Amino acid sequence: MSNREITAEEIAIYLKNVELPARQQGPLQENADEILRYGSFVGSTIECHERLERAMERARQHIDSQEKKGISVQSGRIILARSLTASKGRFSRCWHAPPGGLWGCLIHANTLTPKSTLLLSLGVGVAACEALAPYGAAQKHIRWVNDVLIDGVKVAGFLIEGHRGPRWGEQFHLIGFGINVNNRNFPEELQGIATSLQSSAGVPVDLKQFSISFIAKLAWNIGLLYFVEARMSKSVAGRSGFRHPVLERWTELSDTVGKKVVFGHDVVTKPQYSAVVTGVADDGGLQMMLDSGASHTEYSGEIRYLS
Amino acid sequence: MSNDIDFDKILKKYHSDPFGYVDIHAIHTGVVSFGVALGDEVDSTSGEWNHIPGTVLYEITRERNSKKIPAQINGTVSSLQTELDGTFVESGEKLMTIRHPLKKKEIIENILQEVLYLYQAPETAKYFFSLDIQSRIEKKGARSVSIAPGDEVFTMSLMKRDTPIYYEGEPGIIHSVYFKPGISVEQGTPLIGVCAEDKVPLIQKIITRVKADWDKLS
Repeated sequence: MSNREITAEEIAIYLKNVELPARQQGPLQENADEILRYGSFVGSTIECHERLERAMERARQHIDSQEKKGISVQSGRIILARSLTASKGRFSRCWHAPPGGLWGCLIHANTLTPKSTLLLSLGVGVAACEALAPYGAAQKHIRWVNDVLIDGVKVAGFLIEGHRGPRWGEQFHLIGFGINVNNRNFPEELQGIATSLQSSAGVPVDLKQFSISFIAKLAWNIGLLYFVEARMSKSVAGRSGFRHPVLERWTELSDTVGKKVVFGHDVVTKPQYSAVVTGVADDGGLQMMLDSGASHTEYSGEIRYLS
Repeated sequence: MSNDIDFDKILKKYHSDPFGYVDIHAIHTGVVSFGVALGDEVDSTSGEWNHIPGTVLYEITRERNSKKIPAQINGTVSSLQTELDGTFVESGEKLMTIRHPLKKKEIIENILQEVLYLYQAPETAKYFFSLDIQSRIEKKGARSVSIAPGDEVFTMSLMKRDTPIYYEGEPGIIHSVYFKPGISVEQGTPLIGVCAEDKVPLIQKIITRVKADWDKLS
């Protein structure tokens, strides 16, 4: 089954009939409606393609062409493709995107404060993990910042790149996502480091339903960033001891804290040092204790588990 | 940028007082408790990734959250607002001054920073030259690379989010690079010093004069 036929209307219906009732049973039940209204721009327009080179590139083209025509770019547009022919991860790493997976990009006009923007990457990982949970993948899965793993093997990856509109200079986040859903065969270089949801669940997954669910979780988590900002301005959330709910949820879904790790900006080709993760700061920074006993917090880079 | 620089005056100033004076201000409101006394020697934060904290200058507590603030520069505590110890201070209040002994290289940089256009880090993050700029630097060296307002010069990397940074400032060549890829840069810290192409000979003159005269007078 493909995700080609997903429409914005289906996302809206899912948010109202499935996501909202579920969230109304959760810890933010009293604010669930408001949070989803903040996030409802996510998936408000959707374009689906049979094949693209890169969804991020298509997003850039869309922004540039809209602005050149004098049209404001709608935030929340999602670009999906059944397969990508030139997809890549960070540092131009291989990312295999054949039919069967969820491949796409969300265009987000950056109207968040820098403080909230820090948590955007974490929220994307949380959304993926929440979407995977109903398929029996409910254990702790997120590796800082937002890699999603099943049994230590990567099932989903995200890339956020900034882009400036050519005419008005508006700043956009291009949130690229790649989730291995039903695609079970990987090229040799990804053997042992990539897996799929179908491989884990043991049965094929309804890609369309999974895609709608993931987009709804994105809407919730991004909505949460806006919701907390609004509360911060009323200084409710600015109180001492306040922990952002996106971070709270990320902590629940991550197994990073306590792990012995190797850190590097590009940890695959240039590992820098090893350390034990002692926590995650309120702004999402990775707190570590180095082998020398010194404490250090990183806000950029990546880790691999050593234990 | 003026072409008329009184080298003798500048060098005399640094010879008579070869120190930099760095004021330390409260990073936010809170109750401060000093970790140093007047005249104490302090060590700067160090290590390959700036991961070894320097001497704790003060601890600041706001609503039961305490932060220890380490020195970012080595030197001696040359003034200390002792009356503020244990009291509530406002954000930005001056707490002490560190007298930092300058090396020749730092003196040259200090003089250059007065004449170069400094482009500062917009956020605390890691910075990299954009692919195009990096490849031009690798081919010809930074001082052969011209930049102009609107050029994509850096990529800012923060929480797995890569943002292109477009240069806004005076056009010119990249004369000085103040950051290292992979090392976090504090907001407001200069990333590069840019020099108009016709001023390059003047900059070279400054470096040559300081190098020669400093050793001669030392």
